[in-house]
Amino acid sequence: MTEIDLFRKGRQVELERTNPLSGPAVEPDPAWFEQSSNEPPFARHVHTTPLHLVTSVESRTNDWTVWNGYTVPNVHTHLAAEYDALHSNAGLSDISPLVKMRISGKEAVAYLDHLLTMPVGRMKQHDTRRAFMCAGNGQLVTEGILFRLDETEFRLITRSKHLDWFLDAGIGFGASVDDISGTLAGLSLSGPRAPLVLAEAGLERSADLARGKACWEEPGRMPTYVSRTGLLGESQFELWIDPEDAPLLWNRLLAAGKHHAIRPVGEAARNVARLEQGVFLEGRDFASAFASSSTLVPATPYDLGLGTFVKLDRATFNGQAALRRLVTSGAGRAPVAFTIAGNEADQLGAIYAGGRKAGRITSHTWSPALHTHIALGLMDIQGLGTSGAYALDVLTFEGVAEKRTAHFAKRPLLAAGMANLTE
Amino acid sequence: MTDEALQYDAIVIGAGHNGLIAASYLAKAGRKTVLLDSSSYIGGAARTAEISPDYLVSTAAHLFSAFPRKIEKDLKLAKHGLIWAARDMPTVALDLQGRHITLTGKGKQDTSVMAKHEPRDAENWQDFSRRMSKFALFLSKYLGEALPDLGNDVSSYEGPLAALQLEKMGAKDLQSFLRFLPSSMSSVLDRYFEGKLLKGALALDAVIGHHAGPYSPGSAFSYIYKQGLAKLGQGLSYPVGGAGAFAEVLGEAAEALGVRIRVDSHVEQILVEDGKAVGVRLTDGTVFHAPVILSSVAPKATCLELVGARHFETDTVRHLSRIRSSGAAAKINLALEGLPTFENFTDTEYGGRLLIAPSVMAVERSFIAAKRNELPIDPVMEMVIPTYHDPRLAPMGHHVLSIMVPNVPYDVAGGWDERRDEFVKKVIDTIEMYAPDLTAKIIAGEMLTPPEIESKFVLSGGHWHHADMSFDQLLAFRPTPGMANYASSLDGLYFCGAGCHPGGGLTGLPGRLAAEAVLAQRKTR
Repeated sequence: MTEIDLFRKGRQVELERTNPLSGPAVEPDPAWFEQSSNEPPFARHVHTTPLHLVTSVESRTNDWTVWNGYTVPNVHTHLAAEYDALHSNAGLSDISPLVKMRISGKEAVAYLDHLLTMPVGRMKQHDTRRAFMCAGNGQLVTEGILFRLDETEFRLITRSKHLDWFLDAGIGFGASVDDISGTLAGLSLSGPRAPLVLAEAGLERSADLARGKACWEEPGRMPTYVSRTGLLGESQFELWIDPEDAPLLWNRLLAAGKHHAIRPVGEAARNVARLEQGVFLEGRDFASAFASSSTLVPATPYDLGLGTFVKLDRATFNGQAALRRLVTSGAGRAPVAFTIAGNEADQLGAIYAGGRKAGRITSHTWSPALHTHIALGLMDIQGLGTSGAYALDVLTFEGVAEKRTAHFAKRPLLAAGMANLTE
Repeated sequence: MTDEALQYDAIVIGAGHNGLIAASYLAKAGRKTVLLDSSSYIGGAARTAEISPDYLVSTAAHLFSAFPRKIEKDLKLAKHGLIWAARDMPTVALDLQGRHITLTGKGKQDTSVMAKHEPRDAENWQDFSRRMSKFALFLSKYLGEALPDLGNDVSSYEGPLAALQLEKMGAKDLQSFLRFLPSSMSSVLDRYFEGKLLKGALALDAVIGHHAGPYSPGSAFSYIYKQGLAKLGQGLSYPVGGAGAFAEVLGEAAEALGVRIRVDSHVEQILVEDGKAVGVRLTDGTVFHAPVILSSVAPKATCLELVGARHFETDTVRHLSRIRSSGAAAKINLALEGLPTFENFTDTEYGGRLLIAPSVMAVERSFIAAKRNELPIDPVMEMVIPTYHDPRLAPMGHHVLSIMVPNVPYDVAGGWDERRDEFVKKVIDTIEMYAPDLTAKIIAGEMLTPPEIESKFVLSGGHWHHADMSFDQLLAFRPTPGMANYASSLDGLYFCGAGCHPGGGLTGLPGRLAAEAVLAQRKTR
């Protein structure tokens, strides 16, 4: 099936539907997902996720963005509405572009201990944990979430793809490492009413999950692994499912969430929400140690304030020697968050402390909930604490930099309890 | 199960000449040292054995081009019986018409030889040898000492680069040097000379022991690197009794200094506790303990097989597993009932290092064949007649011929079992073009293919230097960036073999420098 065919089918589906929030859920035809064997290589100009068809049904703006090479919605209908859904009701998003690895075998634990900055330790079945892996120079290769599926099988979801690194790290270990990205779709359900939506969709056990836990469910006889994880805070759930079942689950959740004003949410709104959580993101705030970027620089776990995720005194692991040196030298950067007066959305650049350049803003946005401009940045440790107020470079279109006053803010900028602020 | 008797200050794995020398220096500094080797003799690739009864030859390595006098003195090798049978051996480029070129390395003499042979090249010879000598001298400063560990961090290269003091060379020589580094030997030779034979011999000198041809970029650097090493030595030499006798001398010197040498002791595992190398376990289960372990086994095998990849960070494992060691050679040793007759040979020539490399292209073709896992059609080679200097190696009047054929594929197409005889015949036929009575005089012979060299001397890939000696695997990048300076990233584990700076050859330098690094880094036991 070519891209054009897919598009036509999509159009038909769209015509059948009236309003995504009130219309009947469409059961997708499995034929839509069949791969044609005579398709020439590189024929697909758009690399799509298993949810592409159902997300494109929802797209009213045709505003897409690229994430890990996949085309995903940036905005479905309206940014403000999607943002509100995340904060007040429930938002459903496609997170399939995340990289999924399966790590299994007798020495899976030993392998992960060697790969990650924190040993597996006493992780129990269906426990999850944020996972960080460093290169030899101590900089982050990528970050993600580790799931323990059973004694010898783990799933590692990472932001960027580093299969060769994972394989090389496995030399000498009795563990097998597989990239299962293509066999697993991901959905994110976030917002204060997310548990209610889950319960209504037949995922009662998941609705009661504690943060950081995961469990198996079978809504409509579709095996689904649900975890209460993610960067958007307390009320986020992530659902991992077979690509063929993914569109069905998507529609099931949308239908179940109808009374809770659920909305498909694009990447733009999710990015605002994660900035409010004060979360630094690989690819937006810092680059992978192996990436090449003109705008981003790599960061060590300490630069990002993630020291608690590094356990140094144990058997050799990647980055150990360099991280040890960093701890002794005390050099590095610190993650900072700012609120900035005024509501002009300019491009922010360097951070000045006491007249001296002391860091960089890595990303920023207008936060409707906080009614202020917020920014995340990385500052040299020496530049910290010299004064309460900082000056930020503002790059205007004329290329002339002006300064704006910024104030330190605690992360998360938007506390979980304030989620209903906009209501 | 710590047995007091098996507790040492240092364990050295592999009793090749570097292992012997490293152990000796440690013992000399008062460290209780044990030297373990998997075979039942010492010396590693420095070995003398019989081709057939009464005909002895250096089985593998057969010439000393850069053995430093310092080690000879430090370890009192003369006292233990080291006698050189030949010193400053000349190099002879064999010519089919008998117009051989004999180079002694002495400037004036060589120029006059060149003047006779190829007058046009004589002038340039002076210029060429002056410049090479200058570059070699510059390099040699860095070959006889440990180099700073540059690590993986590019920003830290500035200091060490400045320390090289390149500017002291003078603008013209520096320009020429920088041009030289990435050049191929053929392009350098084309700049200076016209004579095919001279160029062929120099091209062979540049690539022998490497997986490279004279047209390969970087082959010019290999040439000056070798010349640089030679500056630290005492000229081309051959010890009485061959390489094996030399190893015996080293063994006696080591034992005199208090080293306990234990052969038939195959180290199966280097033991690690709390991120530190703490001992070794032999295949028979015996465990030796020491806070310092030096391995003269190739660094890749040391880390990935003896220690295990899990004790190294992935960057390091990547570096190690990508070490190239593809420059294999074959060795043929012949027992002869008399000297083979080479046209126009005098005493000097018979006692020299004989090169068959009629042109740059001939050398390149043998490399091209090796790249394709094929046998060379016209092999190029280096030969020595050790019995000419050391008649005791064979019955009176009889001789042995030691032949080293570079650029021989490890995995020859069709397999070595099938093609062994064909290869030997090719080599002998080639020599016969220069010495027609060779076959008539052969009594016995032996051949070591690269896989046999690998299994016999525990050299991975059959590589004499443990790892290719190309620019990216030399100096502060040897064995890998971040692990130069002899210490591995595993606390307590050191390298002391040809796989570390300054590389392979019978120089003893890796052994000596490794021991010095250990003594400097671990002042207390």
